[in-house]
Amino acid sequence: MRKFLGLTLALTVVAAACGGLGPGGSDSSALAPAKDVAPAATITWWHAMSGVNGDALNKIVAGFNSSQSKIKVEAIFQGNYDDLLAKLNTAIASNAAPALVQVYDIGQRYMYDTAQVVPMQAFIDRDKFNTSDFEPAVINYYKYQDKLQSMPFNASSAILYYNKDAFKDVGLDPNKPPVTFTEVADAAKKLTKKDASGVTTRFGFGPSIYGWLFEQLMATSAAPYADNGNGRDDRATKVLWNSAQGKAILDWWKAGVDGGYFYNPGIDNDGAANAFNAQKSAMYIESTARLRGHITTVAGKFEIGTGLYPRPDSKPKEGGNIIGGASLYIMKSRPQAEQQAAWEFVKYAMTPAVQAQWQSDTGYYPIVKTAYDQGPSKEWSTKYPQFLTAINEIRDSPQNRMTNGAVLGVMPQARQRTQKMIESVLLGQATTQAALDAAVADMNAQIDKYNKANP
Amino acid sequence: MSVRTMASYALLVVGSIIVAFPLLLALSYSLMTESEIATFPPPVFPARPNLDNYGTVFATIPIGRYLLNSFVVSLAVVVGQLLTASLAAYAFAFLVFRGRQLLFFLFLSTLMIPWEATIIPNYMTIRTIGWLDTYQGLAVPFMATAFGTFLLRQAFLQIPGELWDAARIDGASTFRFLISTVIPLSRPALGTVGIYGFLSTYNQYFWPLLITNQTLMRTTQVGIAQLRFEETLRWGLVMAGVVMVALPTLALLVLGQRQLIRGLTAGAVKG
Amino acid sequence: MHWTARDVRSLGVGLAYLAPSLVLFAAFVFIPLGQTVYLSLFNTRATGAITTFAGVDHYVELLTSDIFHTGLVATALFAIYTVPVGIALGLVLAVLLNQRLRGINVFRTMMSSTIAISAAVGALIWLLLFNPSLGLLDYMLSLIGIQGPAWLIQPTTAIIAVSITTIWLTLGTNIIVLLSGLQGVPEEIYEAARLDGARGLRMFTRITVPMVSPSLFFLFVVDTVAVLQAFTQIHVLTRGGPVDATRVLVYSIYQDAFQNFQFGFASAQAVILFVLVMGLTLIQFRFVERLVHYQ
Repeated sequence: MRKFLGLTLALTVVAAACGGLGPGGSDSSALAPAKDVAPAATITWWHAMSGVNGDALNKIVAGFNSSQSKIKVEAIFQGNYDDLLAKLNTAIASNAAPALVQVYDIGQRYMYDTAQVVPMQAFIDRDKFNTSDFEPAVINYYKYQDKLQSMPFNASSAILYYNKDAFKDVGLDPNKPPVTFTEVADAAKKLTKKDASGVTTRFGFGPSIYGWLFEQLMATSAAPYADNGNGRDDRATKVLWNSAQGKAILDWWKAGVDGGYFYNPGIDNDGAANAFNAQKSAMYIESTARLRGHITTVAGKFEIGTGLYPRPDSKPKEGGNIIGGASLYIMKSRPQAEQQAAWEFVKYAMTPAVQAQWQSDTGYYPIVKTAYDQGPSKEWSTKYPQFLTAINEIRDSPQNRMTNGAVLGVMPQARQRTQKMIESVLLGQATTQAALDAAVADMNAQIDKYNKANP
Repeated sequence: MSVRTMASYALLVVGSIIVAFPLLLALSYSLMTESEIATFPPPVFPARPNLDNYGTVFATIPIGRYLLNSFVVSLAVVVGQLLTASLAAYAFAFLVFRGRQLLFFLFLSTLMIPWEATIIPNYMTIRTIGWLDTYQGLAVPFMATAFGTFLLRQAFLQIPGELWDAARIDGASTFRFLISTVIPLSRPALGTVGIYGFLSTYNQYFWPLLITNQTLMRTTQVGIAQLRFEETLRWGLVMAGVVMVALPTLALLVLGQRQLIRGLTAGAVKG
Repeated sequence: MHWTARDVRSLGVGLAYLAPSLVLFAAFVFIPLGQTVYLSLFNTRATGAITTFAGVDHYVELLTSDIFHTGLVATALFAIYTVPVGIALGLVLAVLLNQRLRGINVFRTMMSSTIAISAAVGALIWLLLFNPSLGLLDYMLSLIGIQGPAWLIQPTTAIIAVSITTIWLTLGTNIIVLLSGLQGVPEEIYEAARLDGARGLRMFTRITVPMVSPSLFFLFVVDTVAVLQAFTQIHVLTRGGPVDATRVLVYSIYQDAFQNFQFGFASAQAVILFVLVMGLTLIQFRFVERLVHYQ
């Protein structure tokens, strides 16, 4: 009997080893709990959604909790994305992380490096969960070496917002927004208005100094942000901002600000949005997630148009937009029963009906394409036709390393550093090339340090 | 009314308006719609004041519960701080012992330690003793105060030495002198320490966020953060939250002023 | 040094009074600080787990880096802009408020109201005031013919904007502390000075300032320490920019610890900041406290 037990045990171990994720192994399902592990009765989900989005999120949770009787999800707001990640980090160190967490796009590599995550792919492979209906641009962003580490949850992208009334005012076609750098600059010049004393009362274009916007501009320029396939083929060792494309972006931005037709609201995204609402700038670039807020705020004052995100005059074919937003991670430190329960919830959150409702409540993209056939989604698109620009932009973006976005463990620093770089150029403290080179040198040292500390 | 008095009033009115302007503006914005705030030139008064933003605050967060939590925690901290700080300040002001100077600097040094340096170990301590999501976890770490001790020491040093000598001659114990003489004479300073302790606890954000996981244990500043949307900042709504959260503390301030006045009368009697 | 039984006993009594505070400080300040100092000697993973011994590497890297020097300059500027102005303004207003007038409580409450406001909330209001398109500040300046600066965009004005916000935030505390100091001054002292012919400015510099010097000194120390640790208003207004103009030390510690997750490096900065503030306070006590007049 003992012998038999020992043999069974040995066989199990061997089987487990073979099924595991070795180098080159393609099935990661062994990382997930076995299919017959009963889900936990209660799990906790940490999220960063406040206000309207928070309400919409709680609606999903309530829907899930009442749809079945076995699992109860408790959603807890943990501050904004940065606060949440800081808290998660502290919790990981003292083993107090929840089963499910929402982490922003740029926390992807960090989450991977913590080695605290059960890859979402493990559950997908185990259950043969069908992801063919998922929006490719969205799902590709969260794939690392072809495996989905987390489940995309709230997705948005960057578009051009413009004031149609201002366009009419200066004789521009309100249905033909500018697309290339030159077109944007030319339109901005026309849209800029000064009062009698020479003070500018309306700027043509007013993007905030936001690292995410630079990342998007690099992507529409088809320029890699970092080496090793944007950090997707292997861990990135260098950033590549000081390419010709990177310089062209800064030159364009700088010329606009110096020429007085680009408005510089600084790093404050809300400030840029405020300026657009108050008609101090006639165009700007921001996340699609702001669309609904803008439409409500400016109702009755002017008509908002949306257009494709700016790109170089050559309109490179390989260029396109990266999605932003956040995704859901299942944490390894929780018991398997909780992981199982978290996965049940994730599956629920990805159903077309839930996704359509989520879109209509928040303005984020549905992750699953069939959600667009659902009532709430159709109503939304009728109500906010401007949204179609956004979804088409993402649909039309080619899928490659550039448009899938960079993955860097030091992405938050990279964002801080690009912002500082752009500031120094716009303030005339450095030439574009010098600013780019200095930023790249700083950042490469940071990457080196990070890679050494997180072997 | 003399010219001097009128000049005083004029200065007081102008000064008060300037200092309180940002707060008055917050009140005004809380009564405006988002669309009105977004107009240029910026409006100062709402054209049609409405309370919609306040309604949204109630609908978005359990503000009553947050206020209750903030009050419980802040009051606990005040009581704790007044106890620990008056004992310590008394030792620093009246007792003579070796190492007093050194210990005083040890106290002061706690003010100089950046909060980032201690917050993670403190989280772990609180978790280890099972105080996550509890009032004691929110309050106990802040019950000792170098600021309060320092302020009380300064106040105690103002108490005339003759009183101390007289008490010694009467044979009063050191502790009795603290209770019967020092504390009654230092009511304004104690009031200040109390108010300060209350407000600084009430206004904490990161610590309550870190150690609470249940909505029921959250405090007001976390509530304000919940009103700041990740994608669109709605100024009117945030300002409504600001007003609701600041009202109780402003009310406390009014009461605190009276305490300071009473303390003055007590001080005048002694002279 | 010889310890008599009396010395030991008096130390015992002293420690008994200090014990409640000392226990709390040990648990929540000193022991954690010790852990931070320890951490500063190591490299850490993103999760905070220790990987390799770094010795004084972090300190060397810091002290030789440009960004640390810009941080020091920003910190010094911020303190210089904020502390003296804040205290002077507080004193002037406290003297104004220390009059026996009908309704004075209303003014006291209004002027000290900023004490009731958290840094997060106060900074948010100022963010709106500084806003170039919605902000009232530049608009009001434009009414009197001045084109307001782009407050948070230019490095020179950004640090001033952060300082204005900080002065405003601390004004309430300053007023309350100075008011309570002023109220501790016996009326007879003013009477006596008045009999000697002191009036106005002379009264202010010869009597008022010396009499409240303990409170002034207190604020000087506490405000300096507070300013060197001011974080929230910078986080809300400028996030350390533009081009590091407001990236004071405590802010770079925050970024490195909680956004960049380099705990070892952040800990080293925290230790350096601690040593700096400690040194500064010692200097204040050594040289400035001499000017203080205790009754």
